[in-house]
Amino acid sequence: MLTVLGGLLGLAFGAGFIGALSGLGGGVFIVPALVIVARVPMYDAVGASLISVVATSAGASVAFVRDGWTNLRVAMVLECATVTGAVAGAFMAGHIAPWILEALFALVMLQSAYFTIQRQDTEMLPHPDPLCARLKLEGELPGDDGRLMHYGARNLPGGAVLMVVAGITSGLLGIGSGALKVIAMDYIMHLPLKVSSATSNFMIGVTAGAGALVFLSRGAMAGSIAAPVALGVTAGALLGSRVLPHANVRALRAMFVVILVLIALEMGWRALKGI
Amino acid sequence: MVEPLETPPSRTAPDATTQEEDRILRRWTPILLRTILIVATIVLIFGLVVMARQAPGAYLARFHAVQAGRVYAQDPWQKMLDQAEHGDPHAIVIFGLMVLTLVPLARVAFCFLLFLRERDWTYVAFTAYVLCGLIVGVLLGRVG
Repeated sequence: MLTVLGGLLGLAFGAGFIGALSGLGGGVFIVPALVIVARVPMYDAVGASLISVVATSAGASVAFVRDGWTNLRVAMVLECATVTGAVAGAFMAGHIAPWILEALFALVMLQSAYFTIQRQDTEMLPHPDPLCARLKLEGELPGDDGRLMHYGARNLPGGAVLMVVAGITSGLLGIGSGALKVIAMDYIMHLPLKVSSATSNFMIGVTAGAGALVFLSRGAMAGSIAAPVALGVTAGALLGSRVLPHANVRALRAMFVVILVLIALEMGWRALKGI
Repeated sequence: MVEPLETPPSRTAPDATTQEEDRILRRWTPILLRTILIVATIVLIFGLVVMARQAPGAYLARFHAVQAGRVYAQDPWQKMLDQAEHGDPHAIVIFGLMVLTLVPLARVAFCFLLFLRERDWTYVAFTAYVLCGLIVGVLLGRVG
């Protein structure tokens, strides 16, 4: 038992560590690791990963909330969209052929690779539009000179539509869908990137929690896998977030893109074999 | 790097209620998240240690059963809680996972109660919707 348990803990630790360094979250790496290395069926890997995403989000978002990077109101409004999608996605996951899940996973990997390449570090602070102003979706963040800069949000409906898609993806594939969430807030709603990342991290817990509740209440959560995965991913993510400030992010991004494309190819190949 | 637009964004000063809500949320949300996460972690580690000591063979059998295909165990939650209380390691692990899923549920419930107290009806509606969504998730899982 200790060999299997240690192996799962090690896999999960590595996935959490890489997930934190890449900013994509452990779910993106633990699902393929469980499917390819541990030979766990896709559906069970999704359930275990959802639980680990809940744990990672709870651990990682604490500092962002406390320090004011997370826009809690944006999170609460957009969670309506992500939870709707996540519940629908997790429900559908139990009724969809595994090869379709694997094919979708391959596509999401490619999208994550593209997102990792395209990510910009320059931000603009937009005017809030009337709807966002009425919902108080504004905030402040420290600028380079230490002064607090005010920011607003725009295009809430557009962001919400993409959040439904992010929720469905999360529930179906067991990932946090952080890349899609950041795109919704950063590109569509024009929130600053750091605010988008911190808010996405916070929301991921509720999104994945909605999916995990469907799996748990269905009795389809493999505790023997989900427990070590949750513990390992959380520990790996904690270490990754400590190492991140001292890492060469550019070099890491290039490496992650290669890993994501390789995972996409492997999952795509599995999907083709399963048709 | 953060760059302001040429024209500074229009700014509406947050009212006292909004500021108070934000202050409470920023203070108590991290405490709530961290507390439940620590409790769940302790329960999960305890469950795995009990499993390793009492029933290592059962763990392996479950793992291989999962590898071979789906293992459904849709027991009533009351039965599972009774088993956990009597030291059944698998039930303790599942109980730990349930505690973990309480993290988002408790956080949303906390926000709901806060907005209710502050009579911020717009956000009462948003958080109520999310809570209902989570409950619908539980019901959908029981259905199939």
